[in-house]
Amino acid sequence: MLATQPAPTRNGHSAVREGIVDCDVHVFPHSLDEIRAFMDEPWRSRFSGGGRGFYGNPVHGSRQDAKPPSGGPSGSDPDFLREQLIDLYGMAYAICLPRAFCNHHPDPDLGNAIAAAYNEWLAATWLGEYNADGVFKGSITVNPQDPAAAAAEIDKWGSHPHFVQVMTDSGSRAPFGQRQFYPIYAACERHGLPFAIHPGTDGMGINQQPSPGYPTHYIEWHTLLSVGFQAHLVSFLTEGVFERFPGFRVVLVEGGVAWVAPLLWRLDAEWKALRPEVPWVRKPPSAYLREHVRVSSQPLERPDNDKHLLQMLEMMDAEHILMFASDYPHWDFDSPTHAFPKLPDALHRRIFRENALEFYGLAADH
Amino acid sequence: MAKYTICRVSELPPGERKIIEAGSRTIGVFNVNGAFHAIRNQCPHQNAPLCRGIITGTTLPSQPGEYIWAKDGEIVRCPWHGWEFDITTGRSVFNPHKMRVKNYEVTVEPVPGEDVESVESFTVTVEDGWVILHA
Repeated sequence: MLATQPAPTRNGHSAVREGIVDCDVHVFPHSLDEIRAFMDEPWRSRFSGGGRGFYGNPVHGSRQDAKPPSGGPSGSDPDFLREQLIDLYGMAYAICLPRAFCNHHPDPDLGNAIAAAYNEWLAATWLGEYNADGVFKGSITVNPQDPAAAAAEIDKWGSHPHFVQVMTDSGSRAPFGQRQFYPIYAACERHGLPFAIHPGTDGMGINQQPSPGYPTHYIEWHTLLSVGFQAHLVSFLTEGVFERFPGFRVVLVEGGVAWVAPLLWRLDAEWKALRPEVPWVRKPPSAYLREHVRVSSQPLERPDNDKHLLQMLEMMDAEHILMFASDYPHWDFDSPTHAFPKLPDALHRRIFRENALEFYGLAADH
Repeated sequence: MAKYTICRVSELPPGERKIIEAGSRTIGVFNVNGAFHAIRNQCPHQNAPLCRGIITGTTLPSQPGEYIWAKDGEIVRCPWHGWEFDITTGRSVFNPHKMRVKNYEVTVEPVPGEDVESVESFTVTVEDGWVILHA
């Protein structure tokens, strides 16, 4: 099925089940009380949930057909999610990224409490009660404004069989390569867990907006999410994070794809002259990607000419660093059968399955 | 081309839709401000169930800073990525010439030999015939 991208079938458990690893699936509690149940006071009373506050999508934030018939928000019903995503497309694994929104609060204790509660909740539900077959893998949410607490949270969950990465929103007060964050990366390295960055709180609360000032519209803010990712990646590379933590790995989730090659060309070119400023960068910055960095595919840019995209994929070494993601149930969901142009069979297998299996160390015979 | 009997006129009031199976296709039949239209329930972008989207109006192309709300009830917005299509033509708003969804003829017909009822609670001028999809 990987070669031919068949129309999805309802009985996907059979022929297609060995297929896809989806690297960005959003799961939600039925209500915030589910999260509060894992909080102590005073946080239980103070936690009001909420996302970024503004830059709401003016059309709709989630697929309109993803609302479970049983009620509750999109992505909250495991049976419906399995029907609409796992079974329909024959997914081997879904990497779950909850939307805790913990890193834009001025109070680090509140941020830590939110992260901790979401981790307890995820472990009890999607990685526990809902996960008899092990299809769901999870992300340890951390609050990077308190790196010591974040590291402790990683140590708490690091040996859990279904947590496969650490995650944060891309919104930040500083580029992630800077040294104040290193306790987090030491903990990731200690447990062999990649650090996933996902959009969410850029420009919100205490976080900087990576564009010049605040853009007017959602369409600007959403398009420019890539800018924050570019800044974080350049920071990791130039600060020598991968030299300091040789086992540390990063996943850029939902940060865009087509910018990767030209940005690295530029950085490599700069490095030839400016290497003495950052002498710990021992090789061309682009040479760190295959060992340390992965990029998830959604939202995949689609130029009018498919050949142009295929050329970008070749230029960015997609064969080794690109991993499929759908972003279910969000509005810009990428269908596994329609988001990409026709790919060569081997490249399709790398992007939709093998890169993620290898990167996350997932069993191929699942 | 086959004829599919959808429902009575009174069963599909303005602003409502019915999504039906027509052979191997699914098609949405809409009552747009009293006129019936049908489009394929498959978005040409990524095959999402287009006809399950929100029925709305849109902001027409305009001068910077100007908002012109129009086509109220004539636009269906894809439930996945929000692409807008004109239900009355099947054409997309962002590229009406190249990006479009198949549309079909819909007629209102009395069924021969059957008395045509009128429904007082529904103020249409046409008698309560049958909505027929030609697809």
